This record gives sequence, structure tokens and C-alpha cells, in this order.
Amino acid sequence: MSEATSPRAIGIQYATLAQEREAVTLGMWAFLATEVLFFGALIAAYLNYRVWFGSDFIAAARMTKVVLGTANTAVLLTSSACMAMAVTTFEAGSKRAPVLWLAATALLGLAFVAIKATEWWLEYQERLVPALNFDLSRYGGIAEIFFVFYFCATGLHALHLLIGISLVSWLAIRIGNGSLVPGGSTTRLIGLYWHFVDIVWIFLFPLIYLAGRTT
Amino acid sequence: MSAATIWRCWLALILLLAATTASAFVPLGNFNLPVSLTIAVVKALIVLLFFMELRASRALVRAFAAAGFFWLLIMITLTGADYWHRTDARAPIDQTKPR
Repeated sequence: MSEATSPRAIGIQYATLAQEREAVTLGMWAFLATEVLFFGALIAAYLNYRVWFGSDFIAAARMTKVVLGTANTAVLLTSSACMAMAVTTFEAGSKRAPVLWLAATALLGLAFVAIKATEWWLEYQERLVPALNFDLSRYGGIAEIFFVFYFCATGLHALHLLIGISLVSWLAIRIGNGSLVPGGSTTRLIGLYWHFVDIVWIFLFPLIYLAGRTT
Repeated sequence: MSAATIWRCWLALILLLAATTASAFVPLGNFNLPVSLTIAVVKALIVLLFFMELRASRALVRAFAAAGFFWLLIMITLTGADYWHRTDARAPIDQTKPR
């Protein structure tokens, strides 16, 4: 969209709208690169433990709830498609469609957190939560190391998702009351963040839920 | 990006999810992990290229996007090159490992 047709003023430090779009997009990707390394360090630690402890570590992964985990992955992938629809319909100038797609995105995000919390509750009842009630004599120390990773990784991911749900809800309200108009980058940047949180889960899912299913 | 593209991507992601979960129950020995990680990389590429619009982005934006993953690969490779191949000189955490 050109500046002439957009009612939105560009930042004072930019010469053109295209320049502003590229600068803020690069800024978002720089932030996401730090997030890649943040979650990447956890995944590197997981791979180390998996190589060190082998079958005992993998056996602990078998105690995770694979049906709930797979369903949750489908929920999150669908939420990303809804987010992409929100960005596309918003940039095409639609007023109502992006609000509905953002609402769908936020609701699917909440559904993901609800399913995740159900898993955490089941694991609490099975005495699998390190530092709270982990049954060391029943499961052993290597299983505890797996569940430390599990709760750190899924907890930090859920925290990111809650931040995403807040941002998406705020965005839906702003677009709904007309204070955000196409031409800016806010919607697209929040979309990038949402899709990134989806990518983190795409990698956590096979590491947590799919290990040791054949043994 | 058209709605048709978005939902085609969504369908591909869901089919890949079904494939990766199914593959986990097929006994492939040490190959279960590489298979599931390969499918994860394909799913991530669909999200990166289409949903995150890297396919239509300039090379500079793509370089920024690739940088984080590139450094992560260096970190995992160099860490693994040491820790995954230790036999006699074991890491402190490794010394308590039951054999």
C-alpha cells in the first residue's frame, strides 16, 4: 500500500513506508534470533542427556501423553493458519475478518494452554513433577532429569504463548475499534512472533512426545 | 498471500504431523529421531517460508532469519563434537552416569 492511500503516518526517522517496514521486520527477526538461541540451548541440553543416558532417558519420555500432545500440536498449527489469515485479510483492507481470525487465533492459543495444563495436572497426580512431588524411588534420577527438561521447555513455551495470546487480543481490540489501519507493521510483526512460538513447538513435540514409542 | 495458499500449508502441516506421530510407532532403531527431526525441519520451513513470508522477503531479511538457526547449529555441533564422543575423559556430569 502506498503512502498516499494510507491514512497512517510513517515514523519520523523513515523516508518511506517501505523503509520502515523493512527496518521493523529486521528488528523483529533479530529478536527472534535471540529466542532461537534461548530455546536452542534447552534443546542442545536435551540432546546431550539423550546421548549420555540413552534408553533410560528415552523411557522417561514414554510417560508423556502422546495423544494430548499430538492434538495440541494440531491446535497450534491451526492457530498459525488463523494468524496468517488475520494478517492477509487485514492487509487487504478488510475490517471485520481480521478481528474474527485474531479471535480464533487467541482462542486456539487458550485451548493449547488448557490442554497443556491438563497434562501437567495428570503428571502432578502421577508424582512426576521435579522439586514438587517427584517420586525418585519409583522413576529414578534419569527420569527426573527428563522431567526437569520437560517442565522447563513446556513451561517457557506456554509463557511465550500467553504473551502471544495477550498481544493477539490487544491487536483484535485495536483493529476492532479502528485505531490500527493497514499500512503499518504491528499486525505482521505480532504474526511473526506467533508463528515463531509455533516453530518452537514443532521441534519440542518430537523430542518430548515421540521418543521411545517403539520400545 | 492467498487464503488458498494458507490452507494448503495448513493441510501439509497436519499431514506431516500425522506422518511424524505414525513414524514414532514404527521400530526404526536409531533412525526414529532423525526421521522425526527431518519432518520437524520441513514443517518449520513451511511456517518460515509461507506464514512468516520469507519466500517473498528480500535477501537481507532472509539472512537475519537464517542467522539465529545458523548459530544454533554451530552451538549444537561443537557441543556434540565434544560431549557426545567422550570415552575416557568424561564430563563432570557424566561421571555419575550408571553404565
